[in-house]
Amino acid sequence: MRLFDMDSLKEILETLSKNKSRTLLTGFGVFWGVFMLLMMSGGGSGLKQLLSRNFEGFATNSILVVADRTTKPYKGFNRGRTWNFTLDDVDYLKAAIPELDVVAPVNAMWGRNATYNGRSCSGTIKGLSADYRVIEAPSIEYGRYISEADILSGRKVCVIGKRIYEELFPEGGNPCGNFIRIDGTYYQVVGLDVSNGQMSINGNSSETIVIPINVFMSVYNNGNNVGLLAMTARSGSESSVIQEDVRQALYRKHLVSPDDKSAMFVMNTAQMFAMVDNLFRGVNILIWLVGLGTLLAGAIGVSNIMMVTVKERTTEIGIRRAIGATPRMILGQIMSESVILTLSSGAIALVISVAILSLVDMVMAEQKIECSFQVGFGTALITAVTLSVLGIVAGLAPAFRAMAIKPVDAMRDE
Amino acid sequence: MSLIQLYGINKTYDNGQPLHVLKGIDLNIGEGEYVSIMGASGSGKSTLLNILGILDNYDSGEYWLDGKLIKNLSETQAAHYRNHMIGFIFQSFNLIPFKTAVENVELPLFYQGVSRKVRHERAMELLSKLGLDSWAEHHPNELSGGQKQRVAIARALITNPRIILADEPTGALDSKTSLEVMELLGSLNKDSGVTIIVVTHESGVANSTDKIIHIKDGIIGSIEENRYHNLSPFGGNTVMK
Repeated sequence: MRLFDMDSLKEILETLSKNKSRTLLTGFGVFWGVFMLLMMSGGGSGLKQLLSRNFEGFATNSILVVADRTTKPYKGFNRGRTWNFTLDDVDYLKAAIPELDVVAPVNAMWGRNATYNGRSCSGTIKGLSADYRVIEAPSIEYGRYISEADILSGRKVCVIGKRIYEELFPEGGNPCGNFIRIDGTYYQVVGLDVSNGQMSINGNSSETIVIPINVFMSVYNNGNNVGLLAMTARSGSESSVIQEDVRQALYRKHLVSPDDKSAMFVMNTAQMFAMVDNLFRGVNILIWLVGLGTLLAGAIGVSNIMMVTVKERTTEIGIRRAIGATPRMILGQIMSESVILTLSSGAIALVISVAILSLVDMVMAEQKIECSFQVGFGTALITAVTLSVLGIVAGLAPAFRAMAIKPVDAMRDE
Repeated sequence: MSLIQLYGINKTYDNGQPLHVLKGIDLNIGEGEYVSIMGASGSGKSTLLNILGILDNYDSGEYWLDGKLIKNLSETQAAHYRNHMIGFIFQSFNLIPFKTAVENVELPLFYQGVSRKVRHERAMELLSKLGLDSWAEHHPNELSGGQKQRVAIARALITNPRIILADEPTGALDSKTSLEVMELLGSLNKDSGVTIIVVTHESGVANSTDKIIHIKDGIIGSIEENRYHNLSPFGGNTVMK
């Protein structure tokens, strides 16, 4: 069978190119399907990245707890009692629940003024332990993060966020070694954290000044109280179970009724991330459903128009048959027309949508937003394979109808 | 042995009501003959031509073409015979409208798998023989009726067929071009010895052939030798239409 030699290909291309409007209209359905599919899938993944930037650097398996007023009387205490975590809860929890990896105490004060060299700016001051970096990874540009040694010797050192740095050190350069003043106390800058995460506890990390937890507690007279406990679960453990273990352990220690659900606020990032993941999985399924639906509609359009075309070309096909084309040659011709039409309009759509997505990426890069709307190679490959299959399927029905045309039909349509 | 031998060909169309079109046709046509099949409309002449051209099947009887029995052929075999043995000329020319004259002429060779260059050369050669070389790159809608029919004749000739079947070749032409086309067919018959069978209902057209087969109501009435075209009452100076 001479289905795909150069000569047949030329014959097919000629037939397609000499019936331009028909070819264009037929190809447009497929073009639009591919275009929509790729644009939507690129847009979807881009949006996901944009949203994910908010969670950047944050441990996906962490549990955050904050003490709240009790709502049930227990062991002689009235309801409505305020209670606090204490610093020794850290070791207590680690001992009570072995699945916990890191337990980090967090204290914070909002809207404090930091001054340096006559300039001042407002930010959040946080007291953290060294292992808090596991919960929310800093991205250190200069210096280092708060260390265990800082805590042991109670050093008055701080790590500043990006915006604080820009406000206090507008000339740039390494800020480490300089002393900044917050609420009457001088802290030596030991690090610059330029992380972008939007989901930081107690405010954006770019507007944060981090100092050792024990320094914070003595400077701000917290006594032994800790406002928030952040912890991560070891991999392989079920965070929703651990969450309840943590609650019961803390309730036991602080004499809170075990069934008082409102006495402690719990945030489980694993669940939150799972929710976001599920949301995007849903969005993705929708995109593919709509995209493939459009593509399918396009292919059915091709099939339909080819069907009409075959009817319209009864005479032509009859003539071809009369002068010696075998049914298989006609079948091959119509199928090839369909496949070539589908593939070329799909390829054009692929090129155009990749170009547009690249343009979006370029604009994004100009805005210094790190995210890519471009579709992956895999997506493009899947689209291409789907297209070829669709082209063949779309060509089948018209091709078989064309094959059934008898040469006498050429003379009947006079 | 004759090129075409028909024995008791019967054909019935069954479109709701059975229609017995050919009622036992016996016919011999030898190599190199220039024959017309003449009859009124509905006489079965076109059906006979379709059977001769392997475009249609027959119900009973035997059709031998060049010593081969043409019966229950597959579509592929039929296409092969049509492609190699037979050239067709139609009343409505049946050129493919989006192809130029030369491309139309090339098409049968395309289905034989002849290379593009060779078939273009042969088509151009043939077109210039028919005086159409300056029209080769024109589309059918830019040609006159006579030119279109000459392109169609060139297309029928390009495969060097043994037989040319013409179905009312002058049906869409005026009398002057009709005459030209018939003269062209006559000279092709004389020069290359190709067997030509013309189906017509016009006596003037039939008169320009060497043998006239009269068909009436699905049966062959008489076969008339027509060697001396001018002797016929329709010959001489009579106009074709």
